[in-house]
Amino acid sequence: MGLRTYLLLTLLLYSIGALHALVHTLTRRRLLPTLTLTSTLLGFALHTAALAQRWTEAGHFPAVGVRDAASFLAWATVLVFLLVYVVTRVDAVGLFAYPFAFLLVFLANVAHPSERPDLLLDHRYLLVHTMLAVLGYGALFAAFTMGVLYLFQERELRSRAPGRLYYLIPSLERCDTIGGITVIGGFCFLTLAILTGFLWNHSRHGRYWTGDAKEWAALLAWVIYVLLIVARQRAGWGGRRAAWLGIAGFSIVVFTFAWATLAPALAAAR
Amino acid sequence: MIVIVGLSHRTAPLALREGLAFPKERRQEALARLRDEVGLAEGMILSTCNRVEIYGRAEEARTQELVEFLARFHGRAVDEIEPHLYRLQGEGAVRHAFRVAASLESMVLGEPQILGQVREAYQAAEDVGSLGSVLNALRSRSVAAARRARTETAIGQNAVSVSHVAVELARKIFGQLRDRAVLLVGAGKMNELAARQMVREGAWASVLGGRRFERAEQLAAALGGRAAPFETLRAELAKSDVVISGTGAPGIVVRREDVEAAQARRRQRPLFLIDIAVPRDIDPESAQVPGVFLYDLDGLRAVAEANLRERQKEAAEAEAILEEEIRGFLEWRRSLDVVPLLAELRRRADDIRRSEIEKARRRLGPLTPEQEQALEAVTTGIVNKLLHPPTVQLKEMASNGHPAEHLALIRRVLGL
Repeated sequence: MGLRTYLLLTLLLYSIGALHALVHTLTRRRLLPTLTLTSTLLGFALHTAALAQRWTEAGHFPAVGVRDAASFLAWATVLVFLLVYVVTRVDAVGLFAYPFAFLLVFLANVAHPSERPDLLLDHRYLLVHTMLAVLGYGALFAAFTMGVLYLFQERELRSRAPGRLYYLIPSLERCDTIGGITVIGGFCFLTLAILTGFLWNHSRHGRYWTGDAKEWAALLAWVIYVLLIVARQRAGWGGRRAAWLGIAGFSIVVFTFAWATLAPALAAAR
Repeated sequence: MIVIVGLSHRTAPLALREGLAFPKERRQEALARLRDEVGLAEGMILSTCNRVEIYGRAEEARTQELVEFLARFHGRAVDEIEPHLYRLQGEGAVRHAFRVAASLESMVLGEPQILGQVREAYQAAEDVGSLGSVLNALRSRSVAAARRARTETAIGQNAVSVSHVAVELARKIFGQLRDRAVLLVGAGKMNELAARQMVREGAWASVLGGRRFERAEQLAAALGGRAAPFETLRAELAKSDVVISGTGAPGIVVRREDVEAAQARRRQRPLFLIDIAVPRDIDPESAQVPGVFLYDLDGLRAVAEANLRERQKEAAEAEAILEEEIRGFLEWRRSLDVVPLLAELRRRADDIRRSEIEKARRRLGPLTPEQEQALEAVTTGIVNKLLHPPTVQLKEMASNGHPAEHLALIRRVLGL
């Protein structure tokens, strides 16, 4: 089976989840939750197979270029989503995870694969660094989701006129707790990703810090997450402030990902 | 055939429902009289504050007798109660029984008590031996269907009473209420009602008392908490997660400044203020303070109404589930029906008789009308005599509700 077929099938299976998330939000009806979960698990397995095949075909870890990066990030997002869902059974997480994963796999389907042998100088760091970064992104995305859910639920509760989201989103406390745990997990991965990024820099350029926008952004995101975690632990800054910080941190993380993926592609196009 | 005669909050005023209710202590007598006076093979009486219904099984629909019994038992005239009654039989009665158990017919849609009341009513009937196989099957199938509707839809979720809404909102904010601090401002009855549920879920209660401090102490003792003088309001606010205020005071009791001070000390962690007093106790402006969720009576009622609408949406789904279960029950009932089996048996026997007469005629040649008649009489007699015992037995088995497998076996033995 060709790589394209794999990805298309994955897209199809994830789209069931995305569709369910949509129906769930609009009608509050849980249509065949087992089917959705099964199709996601199946899609995830296919997705893993697609990544493995791509790895063999390309001869290097498939995380370079828009197509591979998007596909890989989607994979990590779904992985984290499945973990969070299995542990917490909060299906509102799927409201964000499914469309996000769907979009990324869609992007991977339409984008052309790029080959850039210059980046493959140090195979070791490419694998470790991207793996850590992408897992971190997945976890931070989950934290971001919980933050957004928290703010939505808070608005519902303050409005004193519960709407759709009131029934859909779990309690504030739950959103906050899950957000707190995922943010710590994501932060650990992010820290390790930044460290390996430095090492990779060193092995390629002889310097740890190259001053690239991506590095600044990653550092900024890291600082925000440190603030968030310290404020949570020490000052009891849970709830809405943590939610906002998590959202801010994740926006910067998105930027680092987009920059890391798109900038080389743009440079190559030029 | 299953029959139901009854009245409910939809068809009869409270005064009449009260008058026709069967108190627990007279239920046994009523069930016995049902059997003797109406001639029901099986009977059950469901009597709650919103409905009085007699379920029965009889060979033919005895609804009129049931109406008369209901009137006679309570010393009323038939004409007086007649317009408020519904009479159901067969499929309609089965559907009604399922819907009542699933609380689709309840005054408060989805309320949980009715299922318990239905089960209790069946149990009472079973205890006095007036429950046979048919009503027993109706009981187990309708209770199972009600449970299914309850677990597979949200018909029983989302509180629709003010005090439950308050508790549910607290859960929506704090998750579990275990070890949360609940502060009661005022020692009124309403405060107690909402607080009791929270304490049951593991929250700690404190009661602020004013001039009549001993009342606060009593309530605190009842809730397993402690009482504090009203002057400590700010300190207590800072320690609390939920505040329920319901004093009879004419003006504002908890001011915005108090809430702000408390929130500053609480680092703006969520604080749930419930104002159930009229006039209001808590300054409405407090809602502007970060982390504060303020609900007054109107707010709680609005949520209750939204919840009820939510239940109504779920009801459609619950009905689909019930319909499926009802179909299953009716099909099962039909499979127990011996009438088609008997008809087939008789037709088969008659066919054999006719073909044998034809054969005999060919051998015997032309017969006189008298001989013809005798031949007819003899063969019919044999068939009738042979079929009589199985017919009686089968009818008996049907009324005892023998399982469908028995009937299948009989079909096989008889080659039908």
